[in-house]
Amino acid sequence: MGGLGTTSGPVLACGEVRTCLLPHRRAVDEPTAVRLLGLRADEPVRTSRRPNRHACSPGVLTGVDCLLPTATGAKVRAVGTVTAHAGLVEGRVLQSTAYFSAPAEGPDRRRPWGYYLVRPGLLVPVGRLPGKSVTEGFLTGHQQDRLDVGSIAESLLARISRHDLLDHDAPLTTTDTSLRWTASPAGDGEPASALLTELGSGLRIAELRLPRGTTPLAAAALCEDLALHDWLLTTVGDKLDGLPPGSENQAAALKVLRPLVDHLLHLWMPRARLDRALSPLWEELERHPGFSRQWNTMAQRIRDQLALQNLIRGDAPARS
Amino acid sequence: MGAVVKGPGTAFRESSADPRTESVPFSHLSLELGHLYMEDFAEGPTRLRRHFAAVRPWVEAARAGLGPLAPGRRPRISTCFLIDDYFSRLSTPAELIPPLLEAAAEAGLTIDYLARESGCAGPAADGSRHRDRAVLAESVLHRLVESPPPGSNGFRPPVGRTGWLTNGRRTPSQRTSAALDATGVWQPPSETEARGHSVFLDVELWNGPEDGRTWSCAFLAAVWQLVRLGLLRHNGAAVLTPVRWEDGTFPADWDALPPVLRLNPSATPFTAYATCSVLPSRFLPVEHAVRVILDQVHVEAEALAQVAERSAGEGFPVPAGVVDRTSYVFPPGL
Repeated sequence: MGGLGTTSGPVLACGEVRTCLLPHRRAVDEPTAVRLLGLRADEPVRTSRRPNRHACSPGVLTGVDCLLPTATGAKVRAVGTVTAHAGLVEGRVLQSTAYFSAPAEGPDRRRPWGYYLVRPGLLVPVGRLPGKSVTEGFLTGHQQDRLDVGSIAESLLARISRHDLLDHDAPLTTTDTSLRWTASPAGDGEPASALLTELGSGLRIAELRLPRGTTPLAAAALCEDLALHDWLLTTVGDKLDGLPPGSENQAAALKVLRPLVDHLLHLWMPRARLDRALSPLWEELERHPGFSRQWNTMAQRIRDQLALQNLIRGDAPARS
Repeated sequence: MGAVVKGPGTAFRESSADPRTESVPFSHLSLELGHLYMEDFAEGPTRLRRHFAAVRPWVEAARAGLGPLAPGRRPRISTCFLIDDYFSRLSTPAELIPPLLEAAAEAGLTIDYLARESGCAGPAADGSRHRDRAVLAESVLHRLVESPPPGSNGFRPPVGRTGWLTNGRRTPSQRTSAALDATGVWQPPSETEARGHSVFLDVELWNGPEDGRTWSCAFLAAVWQLVRLGLLRHNGAAVLTPVRWEDGTFPADWDALPPVLRLNPSATPFTAYATCSVLPSRFLPVEHAVRVILDQVHVEAEALAQVAERSAGEGFPVPAGVVDRTSYVFPPGL
């Protein structure tokens, strides 16, 4: 299957990424990550150590035959498979992504199932695909009795979180986030762009226009990267929000700051495995709103607080 | 996910992030010369001779049916026979196999490859390379992607939990209250790809507890088809690779025998672009179930691509759908 907007390729990709802290006391090592993500007996978990540790499960497919969400309410039936995989970053942050891509049009009736199984991750519309309406409908959210990609991502996350290897004793409380995304090919001469919207309660939506030929997998990887870093900013930002100054209440401040240092500060690594063609998008996000700028400020604040505490503690014995 | 970071002039590869798929050799056709229950063997050599005599003309027909090949290509047809050592073991290889081979030879047939049915359930490959407990049948189970009846938007109890696979939508479960039954409206099951009327099939894939499952005959037969089609891998490695066995003596224990034996040194490859099975018609329901299963197995893309490329390269293109690569003959008198 070709990339987005190529002659044989899809015209649209849509998906949802769920991000959460692995429900376990400490970050897990690589063999444990491999056991957690081993969704299939015959296909290995892919692990990578550069530039950070990352493990990715094999893909699992879910067959669907239902109406797609549309902004106009138009009834567009699609048949095929949604693909989902899970990833674990530095043995600490768990992500699951479910996504599909769709061609501009499909046969006017459902074909034998084998036709769809040799096109994994493709949802083929019955007839023509109203791309704009589906994009808007998908980003708006789940509609009753229509395709529910979020629940596929959610059930994969739940399946891994239930694993016996996990102790469900996370070192800090965090909020799970969802990133719902669509990707369509950018027009000729048009630069790639991302419209990222925060909808509160852990929900983000991203409308992407990507260079022609970008594979749905590369689009999903970009969204996982976005979701991971947005989750880190959200989580650390929430913890620092209203933090009592360390000079007033050392113990309370340390209780908040310590798990951040132990578990999250080293995870910031934008574009770790990004398709280089998509780098300009990240650079744009770095300029506005400035993801890394915000992160560096927060990380510095945490370090300053800890440095201050050290100083105060150093003073304490002298006073007594 | 992207395992390879590319850029102008630089590349960093990590082998564990970049899996490879081993390729296997292919015949044009894998021809199965029948299948028998252990009880049939117990009936003795006459039963076996009758079997192969009935199979013989259809072997010729299958050869002829291969159609014209590209100029200069000779048909590569390998024959195989699957012995059921999974559900019962009434006799030993030493007792059972020689009369089988003799009866085939008397009918002018050669069994190139002999396979054990428990190999389709058992270890994925030779034990020395894969010491983990992964089994072939379980791998295929994980590869099932259920054909969704219309209206499926992502919710359904996975087959991995129920152990049953259908070709459609089951009858909704009924309440058992007698009062409700009187008014309750029965709804029929339906076949998803029915032409007008349904032939609904619900296939049992296994029974027994999770740590001691007994796989069903239909499920193992589906695995057997996938093995013959060269479409299964374990962590990228070929599975059930035939082992040469040419001295004509056989052990007293089935487990001492490799899962697939190559008995004929000049045989063309075991795995093939297409399969044909000559079977007694009592296996028709099982093979219907096999087709329902095969239709819902998601084969690894790279394995499919290798077959497509190789077969197209020699002017023998295969159908895209896996189930369409299998065929059957149910001759009279078998």
